[in-house]
Amino acid sequence: MGNLRTLLRLAWRDAWRRPLQSLFFVIGVSIGVAMIIAIDLANSSANRAFTISTDAVVGKATHQIVGGPNGVDESVYVQIRRELGYRDSAPIVEGYVRVKTLNGQPMRLLGVDSFAERPFREELGTAKIAGLNQRSFSAFMAEPNTVLIGANVSDEYRLPIGESLEIQVGSYHHKLRIVDVIASENRRIRRSLKDLLVTDIATAQEIFAKIGKLDRIDLILPDAPLHTTALEHIESMLPPGARIESSDARHGAVIEMTKAFRLNLTALSLLALVVGMFLIYNTVSFSVIQRRAVIGRLRAIGMARGEIFAMILAQATVLGIAGALLGIGLGIFLSRSAIGMVTTSINDLFFVSNVREIDVSALTLLKGGLLGIAAAMTGALIPAYEATRVSPVGTLQRSTIETRTRGSLHRISIAGVAALLLGAGTLLPDWHLGLTFLGVLAVLVGMALLTPSLMRGFAALAATHWLRRKIPILGNMAVRDIDRTLSRTSTAVAALMIAVSVIVGVSVMVGSFRMTVERWLTDLLGADIFVSPPAVANSQMTEKLDPDAVKLFETFPGIARVATARSVEIDSKDIGRITLSAITRDIAGEKRHYKSAVGNHAETWDAFRSGGLIVNEPLANRYKRSLGDTITLLTDRGEVPFTIVGVVYDFDVRPGAMMYDAVYRNYWDDPHLSSAALFVQPGVDVDEKIGSLKSVFGGNLELVIRSNRALRADALAVFDRTFSIFIALQMLAAVVAFIGVLSALMSLQLERTREIGTLRSLGITRGQLARLTLLETGLMGVIAGLIAMPTGLVLAAILIYIINLRSFGWTLQMQLQPSQFTLAFVVALVSALLAGIYPAWRMGQMQPAEALRTE
Amino acid sequence: MGSSDSARKPLIRINGLRKTYREGDQHHIVLDGISEEFYEGEFVCLHGKSGSGKSTLLNLIAGIDAPSNGDILIQTSEGGITLNRLTERDRTLFRRDHIGFVFQFFNLIPTLTVLENVTLPLNLMGERDAYEPAASLLNAVGLGTRMNAYPDRLSGGEQQRVAIARALVHNPRFLLADEPTGNLDAETGESVLSLLLHLSRSAGKTLVMATHATEIAERADRVFHIDSGKLILHKG
Ligand SMILES: Nc1ncnc2c1ncn2[C@@H]1O[C@H](COP(=O)(O)OP(=O)(O)O)[C@@H](O)[C@H]1O
Ligand SMILES: [Mg+2]
Repeated sequence: MGNLRTLLRLAWRDAWRRPLQSLFFVIGVSIGVAMIIAIDLANSSANRAFTISTDAVVGKATHQIVGGPNGVDESVYVQIRRELGYRDSAPIVEGYVRVKTLNGQPMRLLGVDSFAERPFREELGTAKIAGLNQRSFSAFMAEPNTVLIGANVSDEYRLPIGESLEIQVGSYHHKLRIVDVIASENRRIRRSLKDLLVTDIATAQEIFAKIGKLDRIDLILPDAPLHTTALEHIESMLPPGARIESSDARHGAVIEMTKAFRLNLTALSLLALVVGMFLIYNTVSFSVIQRRAVIGRLRAIGMARGEIFAMILAQATVLGIAGALLGIGLGIFLSRSAIGMVTTSINDLFFVSNVREIDVSALTLLKGGLLGIAAAMTGALIPAYEATRVSPVGTLQRSTIETRTRGSLHRISIAGVAALLLGAGTLLPDWHLGLTFLGVLAVLVGMALLTPSLMRGFAALAATHWLRRKIPILGNMAVRDIDRTLSRTSTAVAALMIAVSVIVGVSVMVGSFRMTVERWLTDLLGADIFVSPPAVANSQMTEKLDPDAVKLFETFPGIARVATARSVEIDSKDIGRITLSAITRDIAGEKRHYKSAVGNHAETWDAFRSGGLIVNEPLANRYKRSLGDTITLLTDRGEVPFTIVGVVYDFDVRPGAMMYDAVYRNYWDDPHLSSAALFVQPGVDVDEKIGSLKSVFGGNLELVIRSNRALRADALAVFDRTFSIFIALQMLAAVVAFIGVLSALMSLQLERTREIGTLRSLGITRGQLARLTLLETGLMGVIAGLIAMPTGLVLAAILIYIINLRSFGWTLQMQLQPSQFTLAFVVALVSALLAGIYPAWRMGQMQPAEALRTE
Repeated sequence: MGSSDSARKPLIRINGLRKTYREGDQHHIVLDGISEEFYEGEFVCLHGKSGSGKSTLLNLIAGIDAPSNGDILIQTSEGGITLNRLTERDRTLFRRDHIGFVFQFFNLIPTLTVLENVTLPLNLMGERDAYEPAASLLNAVGLGTRMNAYPDRLSGGEQQRVAIARALVHNPRFLLADEPTGNLDAETGESVLSLLLHLSRSAGKTLVMATHATEIAERADRVFHIDSGKLILHKG
């Protein structure tokens, strides 16, 4: 197209003529892009951090021999290496520790055998240990409690060789002396070193109380054809409870766990761009309608339809690119907060994750930017097409345009109903979660398409009722202005409506969720005092509780009963890894609500005691298991099927199950405990008892001792933290909607300049004019708020009964609070009024003579 | 007519009125120190080339534009006021209560019906029973049957007749008309003009009209030409 320059120039001039609207367009796109990029960067950085640190510690191992919760016996390693002659094998003991010296940050502690390391983690430097100078080598080998740290950590925290690190594992503290630092040329390795401590295997065994045990044995198995025979060879000699698996499979599963969580975040991050598209559509529509005369003239002097189309689209694209670029910068900036929130949630819900760097991947930026530009172009598509329909003969009367809009109103409404049906059709069957979100989008779009008709209805209602009587002429004008400019105001109202309905939907969902969890916790936490070792992260419950402490509780004055739990991660043959809790009694007691169970409370408990498994709802829902089904767990005695005797409500993101303590001990060689719940004797003051317990354990044994109230509060704090990112995302979408309304109102004002000039010359005061404007915008806000309520309710229902259930397998009860709806209504009204203030002020400032002069 | 003029009271007195626009470094002088009086009940015609400043002068008299220099004094029942010295709000209220304006492009409010357009000035004044005066004026302009139509359903001539009714409905002290026939064909223009003249004359209103049409000059009491920023009396 030879005259592209001309087209761009025309587009550019128009964009400049209405600088604020163009700016809003750019801001709308940029917020949308920024949210997508921020969330994407946060998600991928979290993943990458996990992968990098895992890769580093997995090294070149192709396979790993792993065992139950208490690991593999050392003798297995000896057998593999000596008897079977697999020299490419290395024992590992590892875990997370909190490093007090480094501001309490969690780090992975890797215990290695320096003689076996060479083929595995060469880059990590562990193989070079043998090449260290004689003194540090012998220190590392011979002296207990010595550690290697990354050179970068050593520099950053000014911890030279010879200094000590204080670490904490559960209740216990240890001091490790730094005997050398590990430097690496490799960037990835350097990064993983930031979270890594390397000790001798014996030191690690002592720190994690795993004397004589290994967490895994790393192996490098030969490629085919020898591969299969080697695998079979090793498998045949493994004791029950130990098994060999490929390195990749193990770590993929961990990231897989967070998939639903990340998908939910991603879906919400798209919201701002969806809302932004309304803003874009609006801005371009206005510009087309205002340029109708100009477009007619351009057509008259020979501009082709295609060129008009290209001109409008080019303008949107240029602004879209500007918005995308701005959004990329903003997204990188916002990702810093987002990564913090995402990492916190991952630590709270899934696993220990220590992300301290954002991986700004070009692909993410490109993806976000292109999405923004695509959204800008899509939003401009319809107005651009409409522009081509302007006849060269001249301008169409504005009223004709509106008449035509009204004519197409029922078509738009039919499309709206169709979108709603499509949404319902997509939502009802249990398809892929991504499709479910598309269904939600379809519902929202459907409601947006119904907005113009509903607006007309409300406007008519308002006109025939109170407005006519209250403020006769201004009221009438306000109502009719909305009606007359329906083609443009309805988009602004729809955008506001969507943002507000998302606020309603998410707040009802979060509110219901919170209330459900609170009730559940109240019933569940039947004991009075809860004791656990400090955990590296909220998601980690596998630390060990000192057995002496538990003995002490049992005889502690004022304590009636003690229930204990051992929480471990267990691999199952059929459904992957689950969290297993071995319990001595049900702390919820009679208040335990089973979703389904083999009998009444006592009968179920009997079935449980005799070897039955009680699974949580996420497990039952996600893996479609119900009463009577079996789950085969990998025990220290080999694979054992356990029958499900009950399904309980649970709001963990992970699949989990409970087993009777004695049954657990029977199948696993694990003497440890994870937590204890104490019941005080009647009449004993709980807080006082906590005080005396704390003073007894005040010394070197660190324990978290909490009342059930405090534990519940802590759990709810985690809950609130998890949702803070969702709330933040929803707020940003509301900001975009607000900008949309503001932009639309300003465009309307531009369009009505002459009319305002007339009114002013007829003697309307600035006050009256402002009232007229605010009446109009207020009415738009009211309408948006009214439509948002049912939409929000539907959205909440979808989130509660479909999205949450399918994402995480939770059954939530919907709880409606009037305040949520009132608040949403107020948000709609206030943002519309706020958006009206500036245009109202500008109208008042306009010189009537100037206003009358405009075309 | 000169002798009878001096017997009449001046209604609008303009005093050294200047209006300039800055254009870059230059001052573009539109009105260059005009002084003149317009009397109660007279019909004044303003002629001049396009761009000579007719609209500017009318806008200044209506108080919707502010002079660079000079004053506009208007006689009221309570004495006189200097329009350009009033606060913005008082000027607006004065306009609302005392001035009727007819525009070249009709400038009806598209969202209001014919009747509502005419009642609008009264409504803005807080008048409750606006129907009677509006309806009788609409009858007078021959649109009694189109009261509930919207402006865009009317022809140009009809729209301008509505605008005339609107300009008169609140019984203003004087009428300003800026090329009221400029957008109408000759025949329609003529009938609209006759109507405007008839209504303003019979109500004894002062009418200051900017127009290209020279034939109207015959019916005017006085005719002025605006040329190079000066007001030159041509007739009367
Ligand atoms: N806002 C403005 N800025 C600069 N010049 C203006 C402005 N408004 C009017 N003018 C100039 O004032 C002159 C008189 O305009 P106007 O009163 O509209 O003329 P008329 O009504 O006689 O055709 C014109 O030359 C016009 O260009
Ligand atoms: Mg003019």
